[in-house]
Amino acid sequence: MNKSFVSSVPLPESSLWDTMGKKERSLLFFDLEITARCNNNCRHCYINIPAGDRDAMKRELSLDEIDEIADEAVQLGALWCLITGGEPLLREDFGDIYLSLKRKGLLVSIFTNATLVTEEHISLLRKYPPRVVEVSVYGATRDTYERVTRRRGSYLAFTRGLNLLSESGVYVRLKAMALRSNANELPEIARFCRQRTMDYFRFDPVLHLRLDGNQARNEEIRSERLSPEKIVELERGDPDRFRTLKKECDELIDPRFSQIKCNHLFNCGAGRWSFTLSYDGMLHLCSSLCHPSCVYDLRKGSLTDAWNNFVPRVLDMKSDRKEFLERCHVCPLTNLCLWCPAHAYLEKGELDAHVEYFCKVAHSRASALGYNRILSVDGKE
Amino acid sequence: MNTEVKMDSIYAPSEDVVVREIEGEVIIVPLVAGVGNMEDEIFTLNETGRAILAKLDGKSRLKDVLESLSEEFESPAGEIDRDVIGFVGELFKRNILVEASEG
Repeated sequence: MNKSFVSSVPLPESSLWDTMGKKERSLLFFDLEITARCNNNCRHCYINIPAGDRDAMKRELSLDEIDEIADEAVQLGALWCLITGGEPLLREDFGDIYLSLKRKGLLVSIFTNATLVTEEHISLLRKYPPRVVEVSVYGATRDTYERVTRRRGSYLAFTRGLNLLSESGVYVRLKAMALRSNANELPEIARFCRQRTMDYFRFDPVLHLRLDGNQARNEEIRSERLSPEKIVELERGDPDRFRTLKKECDELIDPRFSQIKCNHLFNCGAGRWSFTLSYDGMLHLCSSLCHPSCVYDLRKGSLTDAWNNFVPRVLDMKSDRKEFLERCHVCPLTNLCLWCPAHAYLEKGELDAHVEYFCKVAHSRASALGYNRILSVDGKE
Repeated sequence: MNTEVKMDSIYAPSEDVVVREIEGEVIIVPLVAGVGNMEDEIFTLNETGRAILAKLDGKSRLKDVLESLSEEFESPAGEIDRDVIGFVGELFKRNILVEASEG
């Protein structure tokens, strides 16, 4: 008995992953949208409902319901959980929800706009540290920030909350969405973020549409979308991001995608390693997948049934649509593209529809990375 | 803080950690600040570590745990002591194990 009894290894190096790697599916993490309400009213947001919306409030899962579902998720093996929204700190029982998840042995992350952070939150997070708190930065100046959030006073509240978080020693990451209302300030936003975190800064330039299908809001989102050329310009202007894209482009653009023979709709990790629980108790394979055939009401069933029986049926969904099978399904640019069945449904109402805007963005990115050869082989743009 | 391991002491997992089993792996997840370093230093135990931890139940003295492990692993008395004490010491030092009061 001369071997070591205990190993202290970084989790990514644990032999747990060898076991997981041999499996086709195993629950590792889940996103928990504890509310869809938000105190901001961001132009580009895919989910926000006004903070005082009583109907939305009534539909929200209670602490007990969340507790019960999270217990099942832990039983199924989940190790990570992301608390998100809406703005999760709007919930008065945020602390109870957070602590309940931590006490189950979950590694909990939080997405927030930071405007509602209080000293009480800080005490809680210092004593029971989250894995990370990710804060969205909509602008580096008050004018730009509030042009996006459409709420007076939100910039001051954001900087106050961010300072509280940063000074507390809680691990904070910053991120941004790039939209027409703030794109000209993106270099300043990047500088603002890099001055305040040792970690990387990331921005997402591709907006997606509302989960509730609200047409007026969708029009607003479309009007905030950047052109493919502008997206490429912004990505080129961020040396770290462009260097990473260049470095990884052999994996990002892989001609082997063209060899896919099956006609399954879903080829991502959603429902294989993770799920999203929406504020009203619906299980989604990912936060964007809202097609009625792809969601399961956990108020009427159990997570175990959903995970073991319902999700595999969704993952087995196929398409015989010629355009899909010959185009998006076998596109080597898939990792540069926002296209997926979930977003196709949000854009076009069909899981296998082509989305011109995403396609143009992906091809512009590929071209910027020097992959004109693939473009000419594809020959469809 | 005295981190010396004592044979007459009773040890148990701290309330500041959550001990989980995923796919047969024991994973010790820190609950509060200062225990491990979150993701970078989460403990995973091998099979033997797991057998030892199961016996550190807040009821048995360490010397009785050693005796029981000797029997279980069919090792002569004393042979495994150094390894087990090292294991308990490491977990104790990291606040994963605490000294439980008697009775």
